[in-house]
Amino acid sequence: MFSRGKKQDTKEEIIEQTILKKYNSYYRMAMSFVHNEADAADIVQEGAYKAIKNSDSLKYVEYAETWIYRIMMNEIYRRLDTKKFDSIDDEIFVQIQVEDKYENIDLKRALNSMHAKDKAVIQLKYFEGLKLDEIAYILGEKLSTVKSRLYRGLKKLRCEIDDCGMKGDEHNAG
Amino acid sequence: MPDNFNTILGLYKEQYEKPAMSDKAVFKMKQRMEQGKKEKRLMAKKKTYKGWAIAAAVALAILILPNTSGTIAHAMGNIPVLGGFFKVITFRNYQYDDGRNIADVAVPEVTTEGIVDSSAAETGRKTAEEINAEIRDITDKWVEEFKSNMEGEGYQNTTIDSEVIATTENYFTLKLTCFHAAGDGYEENHFYTIDLNTGEKIELADLFKEGSDYKKVISENIKKQMKEQMAADDSIMYWVDNEEYPEWNFKEITDDTSFYINENGEIVICFNEGDVAPAVMGTVEFTIPKAIVADIMN
Repeated sequence: MFSRGKKQDTKEEIIEQTILKKYNSYYRMAMSFVHNEADAADIVQEGAYKAIKNSDSLKYVEYAETWIYRIMMNEIYRRLDTKKFDSIDDEIFVQIQVEDKYENIDLKRALNSMHAKDKAVIQLKYFEGLKLDEIAYILGEKLSTVKSRLYRGLKKLRCEIDDCGMKGDEHNAG
Repeated sequence: MPDNFNTILGLYKEQYEKPAMSDKAVFKMKQRMEQGKKEKRLMAKKKTYKGWAIAAAVALAILILPNTSGTIAHAMGNIPVLGGFFKVITFRNYQYDDGRNIADVAVPEVTTEGIVDSSAAETGRKTAEEINAEIRDITDKWVEEFKSNMEGEGYQNTTIDSEVIATTENYFTLKLTCFHAAGDGYEENHFYTIDLNTGEKIELADLFKEGSDYKKVISENIKKQMKEQMAADDSIMYWVDNEEYPEWNFKEITDDTSFYINENGEIVICFNEGDVAPAVMGTVEFTIPKAIVADIMN
């Protein structure tokens, strides 16, 4: 019903509007990984630039929001990589410098020992209200993988808090 | 222990949601988004020539959104004083958007600051006036053309912008970029270089010793660079050694050829679209190595 051209300009507008509406969500997500305002701002700025520049490659406008999240997530990973976190591969724990940010010592400990992608799943699901299949798309993973991440992440969170001593338990969860 | 868990998740959420981007960071993000649009436009422009005319034309037509252009105007106004005397202020003097015809015209104006009382300052003021008059003529012509095209059925986009490039101790150059898209894109650049010591607008000839054949020296170097680039990359094409249309081949720069001096003090020769290469190559520049012209420069 629309010409090809019409669709394209709608995409760029939708992406722009989405970014302008959601930039603080991306920023929070970035902050939860890099813990540094300058780096987090940089991630969002680069992600926004790339999203606009490549807006024509978005296939379905309905997915604009998750599509941008995916770009932002990749920017976060790229930043973690260059910051010598070795690799963001799921077996690597992200040692974060939460310091006084999280007053609750249990929470701090739980987040510190959580896999980066498990943490992303929890945050996207509970704080950003995204569905698991959307999260799978954002992380570029299978739905089943995302489900195990959620399960493992929550268990970690729960156990650290309740002190149920799950040393080594994460191997069984995935 | 769900209660305890919910409490901790609530705490986690509270901490998670605390950070907010500063106004400054948001401003920069918007700038980067404009940059993305610009680059996308340039990519689309190149595609146009490859036969995707319709899609690109529409993509090009939506590049400038009125609500964001104010920030650019603001940013442009903050350009510092150059050489302690010259300053460039940008006025966004024409904007139009009816969804089909889009224009965003920012006109730069060179102003002189302070009450420096010297012959160079006096010359500088005159130079600034001359340059401003010329820029006004060019931009008026572009706006007129845009308005007269509005009666047609198609999409069109006119963008005029400027930047100060290559401010060195001795020179500064203002670059005026005029872009028009309607089906395919066309970009035209104008360069104005002022000698900060004398206040005069300089021409290429002013840089060289009298009687020296600088045009030939520079042109030969450009041809050499063209051939090297073409040999290294198949996608690059210049009008040089073209046997099919020998009359198109680049022969020599003229008095009107644009140039500027980069921050390394090298002369950069600039050509508009179609001058020395197929239009798909866009506007092209050649940096002339210092060693090539060292003997004949003033």
